[in-house]
Amino acid sequence: MSAEMVNSLLNTEVDYSNKIPVEHLDYGYIEKCSDLRYLEKILKVLRSGEEGIYPHLIEFCEKHVEKLNPKSRALRKDKPPASSAALPTEEWNQISEELKSWETEMRAGEVQLKRLPLFSDDENMPPIRGSNYSSQSTSAVEVKKKNAKKSSVPRDYKEWDKLDVEKECAKVDGMTTGDAAPTVINRGLPQIQRTLRTSALTEQEKIVLANREKDKGNEAFKASDYEEAVAYYTRSLSIVPTVAAYNNRAQAEIKLQNWNRALSDCQKVLELEPGNAKGLLRRATVQKHLGNLQVAVDDVNTVLHIEPHNEIAKRLLNELNKKMKESGPEKKPAKGKKMLIEEVDEEEEQETQEACGGAVESSRQPRAGGESSTSAATGEERGDMGNAQKKPHGRGDSGAGGGGGGGPRGPRGGNADKYTVTPPKEERSAGKGLANGNSNSTTHHGDSGHRDGGRPWGDTKVNLDAPAGNLPPPLARLKNEGNHLFKNGQFGDAIEKYSQAIDGYADTGVDSPEDLCILYSNRAACYLKDGNSSDCITDCTKALELQPFSLKPLLRRAMAYESLERYRKAYVDFKTVLQIDNSTQAAHDSVNRITRLLIEQDGPEWRDKLPKIPMVPLSAQQHRKDEPLSAEEAQARAQRAAEEAARKAEARFTLFKSEGNELVKKGRYEEAAGKYSECLKLKPSECSVYTNRALCYVKLERFAEAKQDCDSALALEPDNKKAFYRRAMAHKGLKDYLACSTDLQEVLRLDAGVQEAERELQEVTELLRQSLAAASPGKPRRSVPITEVDDTEETPTKEGQDSTPEQNHVNQRKPSILTQPANAYEFGQALSAARSHDDTAACAELLCFIAPETLPSYIANHLDGHTIAFIMQALDGHLLKKDPGLVYQHLKHLHTAERFSVVLMLLDKEERRRMTQLFEHLAASESEAFSKDDVQNLANKYI
Amino acid sequence: MSTPLEKPQIISHIQKSLNYTVFDGKWIPCSAKFVCMGNFPRGTGVMQIYEINHGELQLVKEIEKPKPIKCGTFGATSLQQRHLATGDFDGNLHIWNLEVPDVPVYSVKAHKEIINCIDGVGGLGIGDGAPEIVTGSRDGTVKVWDPRQKDTPVANMEPVEGESKRDCWSVAFGHAFNDQDRCVCAGYDNGDIKLFDLRNMSLRWEKNIKNGVCCVEFDRKDINMNKMVATSLEGKFHVFDMRTQHPTIGFASVSEKAHKSTVWQVRHLPQNRDIFMTTGGAGNLHLWKYEYPAQRSKKDSEEVDMGVAGTVNLLQNVTLSTQPIASLDWSPDKQGLCVCTAFDQSIRVLIVTKLNRV
Repeated sequence: MSAEMVNSLLNTEVDYSNKIPVEHLDYGYIEKCSDLRYLEKILKVLRSGEEGIYPHLIEFCEKHVEKLNPKSRALRKDKPPASSAALPTEEWNQISEELKSWETEMRAGEVQLKRLPLFSDDENMPPIRGSNYSSQSTSAVEVKKKNAKKSSVPRDYKEWDKLDVEKECAKVDGMTTGDAAPTVINRGLPQIQRTLRTSALTEQEKIVLANREKDKGNEAFKASDYEEAVAYYTRSLSIVPTVAAYNNRAQAEIKLQNWNRALSDCQKVLELEPGNAKGLLRRATVQKHLGNLQVAVDDVNTVLHIEPHNEIAKRLLNELNKKMKESGPEKKPAKGKKMLIEEVDEEEEQETQEACGGAVESSRQPRAGGESSTSAATGEERGDMGNAQKKPHGRGDSGAGGGGGGGPRGPRGGNADKYTVTPPKEERSAGKGLANGNSNSTTHHGDSGHRDGGRPWGDTKVNLDAPAGNLPPPLARLKNEGNHLFKNGQFGDAIEKYSQAIDGYADTGVDSPEDLCILYSNRAACYLKDGNSSDCITDCTKALELQPFSLKPLLRRAMAYESLERYRKAYVDFKTVLQIDNSTQAAHDSVNRITRLLIEQDGPEWRDKLPKIPMVPLSAQQHRKDEPLSAEEAQARAQRAAEEAARKAEARFTLFKSEGNELVKKGRYEEAAGKYSECLKLKPSECSVYTNRALCYVKLERFAEAKQDCDSALALEPDNKKAFYRRAMAHKGLKDYLACSTDLQEVLRLDAGVQEAERELQEVTELLRQSLAAASPGKPRRSVPITEVDDTEETPTKEGQDSTPEQNHVNQRKPSILTQPANAYEFGQALSAARSHDDTAACAELLCFIAPETLPSYIANHLDGHTIAFIMQALDGHLLKKDPGLVYQHLKHLHTAERFSVVLMLLDKEERRRMTQLFEHLAASESEAFSKDDVQNLANKYI
Repeated sequence: MSTPLEKPQIISHIQKSLNYTVFDGKWIPCSAKFVCMGNFPRGTGVMQIYEINHGELQLVKEIEKPKPIKCGTFGATSLQQRHLATGDFDGNLHIWNLEVPDVPVYSVKAHKEIINCIDGVGGLGIGDGAPEIVTGSRDGTVKVWDPRQKDTPVANMEPVEGESKRDCWSVAFGHAFNDQDRCVCAGYDNGDIKLFDLRNMSLRWEKNIKNGVCCVEFDRKDINMNKMVATSLEGKFHVFDMRTQHPTIGFASVSEKAHKSTVWQVRHLPQNRDIFMTTGGAGNLHLWKYEYPAQRSKKDSEEVDMGVAGTVNLLQNVTLSTQPIASLDWSPDKQGLCVCTAFDQSIRVLIVTKLNRV
């Protein structure tokens, strides 16, 4: 071994500049060596091939280097770019497909971009920089530039330097720092404009911009600049509102703990896209922090319903459940919050595009409406659920929100506190609370004490001397005092009062086991609240001895057992409760929960270990049901039942409606109409459903039905412009252009900005003109003065009604609606409308309403052969039988009309034949108004 | 280490050889087209528009101009107009309507010598405020132009008389997050980086990174300035955190050595500001990602705020050529698509995959 080798092996000070000895190019040495730099050098030598090529050794060395420093620069290798062949086939196909579709998309977009007129946005443009320095001329600026030192625009670095950077910085910084040299922190936040000028932009540009602003928001979010992110999302939304941007802003607001803003953003998301999982999850998160745990749980459950494997939702649900168990009446402020739904979505691009399309705008409206009503409905529902939960022992808390007794929630731990749920939500009205309190008190006869307890908390004047069952006054007073104390949450004192009452009871010698039972039961409630479960059980047992199978003591005992973790006994009691009253929600919940626990504890045979569940005699159940109800109780119960039914109906209603909306979106109008019909069965007073169904009918070209729906909607909401618009469409479909134009004008009156309505109006006006022109050939076309048409929606003009057979039908039944045409013009309109539909009935009716003397003056403008024939037909077919006198009068006056004789000559054979027929019929009919001779004379003037 | 397929891949999609030296390539916004700028061997300038069509490049238009064109930008034009601003070897700034390219829409003799670099802001919806173009030249000046003002720049930054003029190699706009605020960053051949605040008309910050500054770019032009990357002649690049400016230390930075050769250019992904690509003098591309530190600022010993730099991770690297890659441009419309021009007289359209997963 040479001296040099020894040196290099022993010497820890490695000399990097020296050549690496061959001995070091060895597996053993490399493995032991921990000097990264030296190893990298070895690797270089190995790679260079100076000492021979050892591929395995190189690989080994690389791995070792990687182990020491995965980012080592020595590991970077020159690589050729990957080619399409290097990728899996599907992946490459996907990429190239995307690229191709992008190409075509871009090409189409470009064509569109070019087609757009170039208009500049100059007035909105910020001024040219420096133009505020010298307004005179550009040459002045130039001069200033030439004598560099005095230029207002500094030219050289020195001069730039002369501007005191620190001072400027301080200015920028807003003087946040004092004497010490300031640090400039670029918080440009307040200066970021929240809205963008978009007036001069095209749709396409807006979309590009909105996406870009959203991306900026995403980036800021990733860098934890949440406020900035919010600013950019707001900008994006100011250009085009998209689901993704709302969703992301909600997340950013959550980060900033602006719960209310986040909530409103989530609502927006769900309005635009009901069932958006992220929106729901974020709303749940917000609700969780706002303390509305139940609402949050509902949202999470909805998500899990849509995506059963959503991990985030599951975690959130667990957390919520845990929280609900912990949450007491005094809620601790949320700390150590964990954000779960953090990923900012990029993949929502697709929806964005979809939502951006202007065309979707109109179809979104009904959806939005649907959703808002949905959320309102769910809100109500939640309120109800809150009530349902506290039903079993919601004694003192109805309207109060004090120590609200909630449904049993915690399976573990002996603390009775956990039975209280979050304070009642605002949705719950005091009235409801009262009703609820009353309904609770229905449980027993003479339970007046309980009824007291059911009073709203605001009622401070408690009548402590109120009689209580058969108890003598002193005991009743004690009991009432106890109830009052209980309500105030002074459970210990309440226990004392109840105990006194119980002790006193024995002395009085009154035989009233019901009252004693109530006293025990009440004391048990106090024990339960105090967390004294074993005493609670004792009292309940005593109460049950006195009154077997009474509900409250059973329920309380069950809860006490549960809190003592004696699940089997608790289970039995709950089951018994359910036998007595199957509608006790808390018992159901608890049974489910305990079942799970017991299965965990005892395995599949858990049922065998249960004590026997006592059979509740039918009398006990019967007893409950046949209980004679006082009027008040009955009312309360009915109200409860009604509420329940309403809630269910509401839920089903919402379901049907959202399904309907979905179907409309998919274009399956037939099915959607079916769904809406279901909705209306449940709730016939929902305007939006009518309009939605009308839309379906219009699409299905069932115009008459559509019209009916719109009428119903308008009856509910007299200025619903959607209903007007859809009725206009229906009228159009029914070829009733006048009514259609009236409706459209109504729409425009309500909202002048509805462009579709304006377009339709033009179209309909044209159609109307055509139909009128067809009605009076040979006449110069008159413009249709739609503006003169009666404006009020509910009494459409006569002409409009006459023109459709269906409506005419209605008119015949209710002719009183029709008014006499006031002038020749109105008459002419009505007549042409009737003629255009060949509707002789309408014509006959029209003739009914005008005085025969006025006929010639009215008809003058319209007089032609066809009109005469038409009138003859009307007279013959409809009027003759009813009123031959009128027919005679009309005929008598008609021939006095101007140009009558000329027109008469123009009649063709068929028309003459009809006329003859009319006179024959007239002659044949008997009347006092005219004789046969009169007819003959008249006929001579015609024929 | 993740498996190779998990990482972004840089795929060479289309390659085309040209008969001229190409200096710059830029995507035409809202289209599948890009324009290449360069000079013909006979000493004239050329602009070519290519369109991607089913994996092929189609020459749409070729425009010949008297002077070789060094650089171009669409940054100060509207999406509707899409006018290209170019700087040529003679120091002229032109704005072209590519539909009617015979006569420039705007023309000015901006500099005495070659315009090395150009950047635009205020157009395409990027950056609030006036549309402005900044040019940097060998004559040592950096000038800001407003296309609405003829003949004179709206701001001019040049060395005092007597001081040696440094060749300005790179300019970039940034901090344009409202109508008033705007910054220009310029990089010089001596390693100087100067940050000019156009609002206050002041030199806000300067720094020397020892080697010539080949390229500077803000991660975003239209936000409150966040990060800036400066690349250098000797293979290093620096990422500055621009949020916190310490009175003495300035901006915090992290530097990374990409390779031995010059880092010609850096371009941030338009869809994600934390990812950027550097192009190398040895024909290589490096794709990087910046990771923010847990806290972006801290207090120094005197309780003054100072910035904290993050780290830079290499996502992918490839070698395309033996010649320098002079320019690279990401498509603003399609994430991951980019065009790069190299001195081997060729243009390449590349696809970078999985950018949304990093």
